[in-house]
Amino acid sequence: MTLQWGYKRAFARCALLFVAGTALQIIFGDIDNSFLRYPWGLIVAINYLYLLVLIHFQTDRWPWLKRLYDGYACVSALASMVVVTIIFGLTRQDPATEGLIGLLGFSRMTSSWPFNILLLYFTTTTGLAVVDDLHHWRQRRLAAVLSHLAVFVVLVAGVFGSGDKQRVNVTTQVGHTTHVGLTDKGEQVQLPFALTLKEFTMDEYPPKLYVLDTRTESSSMDFLSVEAEGVEADIEGWHIVAERSIDMAGRRTESGEWQQMDHVGAAPAVYVKARHQLSGEEFEGWVSCGSFIFEPSYLMLGGRYAVAMPRREAKRYLSRVELRDEEGQTHLYNIEVNHPARVGGWYIYQMGYDTQRGRWSEVSVLECVRDGWYSAVHIALWTMLVSGVVMFLTAGGRRAAKPRKEDKR
Amino acid sequence: MTWDQLIWFALVASLCWITGAVMAFRAKRQWPAATAAIAGSVIFFAYIVGMWISLERPPMRTMGETRLWYSFFLSVAGVAVYLRWRYKWILSFSTLMSVVFICVNLFKPEIHSKSLMPALQSVWFVPHVIVYMFAYAMMGAVTLFALYLWLRKYDATDEELRVCDNLVRIGWAFLTLGMIMGALWAKQAWGDYWTWDPKETWAAATWLSYLTYLHLRPREKDQNITFALLIFSFLLLQMCWYGINYLPSAQGSSIHVY
Repeated sequence: MTLQWGYKRAFARCALLFVAGTALQIIFGDIDNSFLRYPWGLIVAINYLYLLVLIHFQTDRWPWLKRLYDGYACVSALASMVVVTIIFGLTRQDPATEGLIGLLGFSRMTSSWPFNILLLYFTTTTGLAVVDDLHHWRQRRLAAVLSHLAVFVVLVAGVFGSGDKQRVNVTTQVGHTTHVGLTDKGEQVQLPFALTLKEFTMDEYPPKLYVLDTRTESSSMDFLSVEAEGVEADIEGWHIVAERSIDMAGRRTESGEWQQMDHVGAAPAVYVKARHQLSGEEFEGWVSCGSFIFEPSYLMLGGRYAVAMPRREAKRYLSRVELRDEEGQTHLYNIEVNHPARVGGWYIYQMGYDTQRGRWSEVSVLECVRDGWYSAVHIALWTMLVSGVVMFLTAGGRRAAKPRKEDKR
Repeated sequence: MTWDQLIWFALVASLCWITGAVMAFRAKRQWPAATAAIAGSVIFFAYIVGMWISLERPPMRTMGETRLWYSFFLSVAGVAVYLRWRYKWILSFSTLMSVVFICVNLFKPEIHSKSLMPALQSVWFVPHVIVYMFAYAMMGAVTLFALYLWLRKYDATDEELRVCDNLVRIGWAFLTLGMIMGALWAKQAWGDYWTWDPKETWAAATWLSYLTYLHLRPREKDQNITFALLIFSFLLLQMCWYGINYLPSAQGSSIHVY
């Protein structure tokens, strides 16, 4: 297994960059990307692009510049990204990590010097390839040109637009209006709109019954999903029947019985009959997961086992929000997971709720995100999707990819 | 439809696939082998559709469910490659791998919940998983082929290497599609395209590694290097697919847990 001289040189360059990055990390600590905030991120990005075009058109005068984006450089940049990403994957990302891993910045990889320097080198190589592709586009494969271009735009937006993203958490309460959010560092941010939570609703999956082993404190893998009264299942040697099921129930303190209760804090309750399949032993009683008002109920099956119901899983939750913008106009939005609301440059996401109260939550946690580079990245990603399809459709071509002329040295 | 019926569908589908694999070598024309293999895939797909209906959600949430798709797409990829490039061996490969993954499901059955958490209820969920499974299937097929070429006593021909390149190119195109769909979905669900979640980190490593192969191949004549890179990339893919479930650095920090 021999390595060509071009590769040795290119890999040595990557190794040097990695060593330089590590030295910078040890000396200066993590990179603070706040200096890339608008307009500085954009200004730096435009100058960077100009530099790439300049390098491309200076290669006739200084041929060594081609080494920044020849085949060897591409492979070495890619391989070094593979290596650094593997290190990333093998290291737990925890800013509090100390020792050698913390010193080298591997536990805060995205803000570490070695990672960012190699990423910038990879971006530069890709960018120069894009300029070269666009200059000689007739000789290139369409899929390659599109994917180089899209990857480059995504990388540039990721590197130079990283300081522009604003992410603000807003905790809203039913009937209350707020226009202030908190960043993850706890700083208050004034939003350009006011949010009033009108309503919070939640759909839940049917209750599930499990058999618990109280000795090993483990629950059965099988369960009975109580979608209707009368459903039954065999779990861990027990035949379980859900005789009655009440979606909204309250527990009578004197008898421990559950009965219909249409009120805040109601919990699902199921009247269960259980029979041991071998011994024929029978037990019956109420099982409920309880709520923030009521304690849960279990059905003990002798001394060791019990039938239990965990909290119901959320199927869908939705915040009905009234938004008042800077002009004083109000808009009504239904915000749920995967369906954010868009207000100018801001997106508002449904993040969470008061899990203690579950479906009775009167609090909804929203997240407002502003990303100035959104459109560029979005177009680039769709371009990449198209390039993937083009690549698939043209993959069977008999013609192998032609190396660039300068690679044949 | 329940997991209890898997064995019957799998049995009939496997018989069709095996018939197709044998016919590819025996029959003079392509259609008998292709018809048998496609019949197997259709039968297996019918089981997946049945599960989809009875679970009231796409069967893509658990490892066992994704293995169903993996088996299915291996068979589809096998027929597609056979029809397009007439490689007789591909049907044997795809059949073998599909059956292995069915066996894993049969011998290690998992209990599946009907619930699908809100974040997974997205238009991107189905295409994201399907496209990734197809990519994994292609990469699985090309890895087996590369191992065969590498371990035999004589060097691979240019034509055989071109087959590897084409399969990697298709697989990589699908990896890209899966990754981009995931990014667009993540933006819609959480406001970020990419968060370097352990699954994403390993997906990036896998994607970059196969991309390195694609850039290396036109220039590198040393077959040991290219085959080693191909197999190394597939190991990264294993880490991305299920390895992170066991990786200490990823415990408790990935949203891709299933």
